[in-house]
Amino acid sequence: MAPVITLNAVDYLIIGGYIVVMVLVGYSLKKYMKTGEDFFLSGRSLPGWITGLAFLSANLGALEVIGMVANSAKYGIATVHFYWVGAIPAMVFLGIFMMPFYYGSRVRTVPEYLKLRYNEATRGLNAISFAVMTVLMSGISLYAMALLFKIMLGWPLTQSILFAAVVVLLYVFWGGLSSSIYNEVIQFFLIWLGLLPIVFLGLKQVGGFAGFTAKLQETLLHSIKYLGTSNNPLGVDWFGVVMGLGFVLSFGYWTTDFLVVQRALASKNLNSARMTPIIASFPKMLVPIIVVIPGLVALLVLPEFGPAALPTADYNSALILLMKHYLPNGLLGLAITALLASFMSGMAGNVTAFNTIWTYDIYGTYIRKGRPDAHYLKVGKYTTVFGIAISVGTAYIVQSFPNLMDYMQLIFSFFNAPLFATFLLGMFWKGATAWGGFWGLLVGILTAAGHYILYKAGVLTYHSDMAANFYQAIWAWLADFVVTIGVSFFTAKRDPKELVGLVFGLTPKPKAEARWYARPAVWGTLAVIVAVILNVIFW
Amino acid sequence: MNDTIETKDQGAGMKQGHVLDLKLPIGWLLSAYGALLTVYGLVTKKEMYAISLGINLNLIWGILMLAIGGGFLLTAFLKRKGRS
Repeated sequence: MAPVITLNAVDYLIIGGYIVVMVLVGYSLKKYMKTGEDFFLSGRSLPGWITGLAFLSANLGALEVIGMVANSAKYGIATVHFYWVGAIPAMVFLGIFMMPFYYGSRVRTVPEYLKLRYNEATRGLNAISFAVMTVLMSGISLYAMALLFKIMLGWPLTQSILFAAVVVLLYVFWGGLSSSIYNEVIQFFLIWLGLLPIVFLGLKQVGGFAGFTAKLQETLLHSIKYLGTSNNPLGVDWFGVVMGLGFVLSFGYWTTDFLVVQRALASKNLNSARMTPIIASFPKMLVPIIVVIPGLVALLVLPEFGPAALPTADYNSALILLMKHYLPNGLLGLAITALLASFMSGMAGNVTAFNTIWTYDIYGTYIRKGRPDAHYLKVGKYTTVFGIAISVGTAYIVQSFPNLMDYMQLIFSFFNAPLFATFLLGMFWKGATAWGGFWGLLVGILTAAGHYILYKAGVLTYHSDMAANFYQAIWAWLADFVVTIGVSFFTAKRDPKELVGLVFGLTPKPKAEARWYARPAVWGTLAVIVAVILNVIFW
Repeated sequence: MNDTIETKDQGAGMKQGHVLDLKLPIGWLLSAYGALLTVYGLVTKKEMYAISLGINLNLIWGILMLAIGGGFLLTAFLKRKGRS
């Protein structure tokens, strides 16, 4: 099959320039990596704007961008729910209410908080599931990258996989979390600069928003208006969107997933840590510009998705086809670099999160306890090699089992959805006991798995797979919430003295030291107000 | 609890941390891309831009990226000057 896109020397020069800069940044960070905290948490020294942009970029992977363009072509403007309902409230909540416990308690990882608040078993359950899933996901996205570049540019799979693995290995081995974070910030600028030309050209060709209104179906143009019933393109009603996506899934991901929380923990002080997700929330609100508009443009300008589209049309190719449709060589290289950067930074993020959890929560807890810091720094560095080797291995396994990708994502969702209930009760109710936390989490995970089996067996039916996913999250969260409370009434309470710094109400409020314009509460409130206004405009 | 946090924070502020100023690599990368695209936009023929609706977007985007990259370099330069 001939490649979709042909690059020339200028394009390759742009791609090469990015690789060189990333390796140099990694190398120049090498001299700062003296302690474990330097390697795993950037020495807790980074300013808020860097951790904030990295917080956002860690989630803005290439698969996310391609998938959201595809969703926008399928569901229209309702895709904004993944941003304005499904991210902003959770990010602001993390910054204002939860970060004082994460950063203030000086934990190094999310599972470590679970150990302090609940017990060793709860930490183990979370740490092991997270480590296994993260490193496998990194391999899956490595494969997805190689496959995309093969179809798009004709690059051979093996060379793509090994090349990306070596580049990521070099800079993570040298610079640890700092390398990952710096790469994410550079990726943030590249993805905007790489994709905005498509937005401008697309809007110009279809005649701006008026063009959308004139030529597209009414149901594709509103975010909320048609949510009264599940009879809309999403196939989900308002309750599913608000509770499933807006509450459980989004809070579960943004407030407990170590991949994103680790960025905030790298901040230089508590105020920067709290500002990290709030700074990220503003560009997050704007991401629909580079995903929703191209999705709608694709419906109007690409024959593949027009009125004569086949039911089998692959919406995931929408972004790539738009790049081919609009971008001349030069800008094309820039857009490809943006995608490459987001794949590589996604992989680096997964590998550094895996490193940290493996070294602190698994190796340092179950295998070799109480060694000097230098030992763990070394283990962390070599875990990078090990983690990348597993990723490459996974990439080859996925090649022969393409469905593995869907299964992994599915299993990951079992672990993620209920976790937010465990954290919510842990941080805001001092009565939650150690074993209450453990059993709540376990039953929540099993509920998610059970719901999935019943749905696949046809016992439960929904209007769409997305609705099933949202309601599965709601049930898993509810099961965790109820069981944690129930078991807590029958098991031994923790001594409140041990919970100081971990639970709201037992911890002195952080003094508002920053001036009013630097306070998380001020910016967080503003973020929520802007998100509400955006929702009203695109009602 | 609060006291220990504050002393530790001050400690972190005192130590140099990872002082690699990220504005520099971002600034250099974007400026280099900008310069390359600008030159490429100047030397390429109009026919190449039929797909981008007749607009020489390499040139326009190149100038824009030069400006953004230059902005980063300038901020980093002024900050360094202010410190010394």
